[in-house]
Amino acid sequence: MPIVKVNDREVHIQELNKGAAETVILVHGMFSNLSVYYFSIAPILAAQFHVVLYDLKSHGMSEKTLHGYDLNSMTDDLLALMETLELKKVYLGGYSFGGLIALRMATRFPERIKKLAIIEAPDPSDEKARGIIDEYSREFLEHYVENFTDTTKVKMGKRQMEKNHRMYEYLFYQTSIKQDMINEQDFFGSGGLTRVSHETFLLYGWFSNCLDAGKLLNRKIKNSRLLAIEGDHNIPIQHPQQVADNLLNFFQQT
Amino acid sequence: MDTITTATKMNSEEIFDLMKQFITEVIGEEFVEEMDITPESSFTKDLEMDSIEIVSFSEKIKAHFGDQIDFTGWLSEMDLDQLINLNLGMIISYIEECQS
Repeated sequence: MPIVKVNDREVHIQELNKGAAETVILVHGMFSNLSVYYFSIAPILAAQFHVVLYDLKSHGMSEKTLHGYDLNSMTDDLLALMETLELKKVYLGGYSFGGLIALRMATRFPERIKKLAIIEAPDPSDEKARGIIDEYSREFLEHYVENFTDTTKVKMGKRQMEKNHRMYEYLFYQTSIKQDMINEQDFFGSGGLTRVSHETFLLYGWFSNCLDAGKLLNRKIKNSRLLAIEGDHNIPIQHPQQVADNLLNFFQQT
Repeated sequence: MDTITTATKMNSEEIFDLMKQFITEVIGEEFVEEMDITPESSFTKDLEMDSIEIVSFSEKIKAHFGDQIDFTGWLSEMDLDQLINLNLGMIISYIEECQS
């Protein structure tokens, strides 16, 4: 497994088409991992770009850690990863919580980003979007996994259910993720986003309960374009080809 | 270590054993002991591997066979339903094809 040390922690990364001149970094969402891109979206982008995927802390195969799930810590991690990989300026894409990380990256380190692609980032002030964090239980997990998980559409077996249960238990009850997310609820309301000057592509599902967040971002970010495609919050799983083609187009356009 | 690249051609039985070894390394011996792994075993339904474990498994194939096999490229051409139905036998045939 390609593991790099970033801020003293082990981070699982995957790189495709390493020789390419330009780099795309894709950030996955909460309770997910880099595999959301690995099999379908990343290979399409890798036809043109060096593609870097990484597992967020305590996700996928990256090291577990108790603290630092707020967007500043998450973007400190991403910046440190870029330093480690010697990447000066990249095309950045993020899905769901990863979209929030990408947005914060654009406000904190604008000079390190060429273009910004945000897929289905939720509004952190929306209690429904944050609600999953407050309602956790085993029954909730079973329901969530059956209906909303973005890693597989197969009914989960015993081993997978237990593995996921352990991850959710860890993240919900042992780490600071819950509080860190609550502390971010003013992110869209604060002035930061209006200062984002990057060309920004907002990609949402027509039937997603996050579409309003996309519309709000479109109003706040001056150089942005919103596209809604068939599907809900899970568009990278439902329509990977379409998502990848749109990202490729956007990143390629001069 | 799983970094050796084999030059010699493997037969389907040898590939099957190697795949079993990789699966054991990825999901752990205690789970594999309870399973009856056959070429018909599907990754998601029978072996209950999730996508990040399949990433791990792909890594092992890459490390073992090197450029001889573009396993990730092959997988990337499949849609979700094909991935869900992917079984060991299909991988064995693919590796055999690449070796011929």
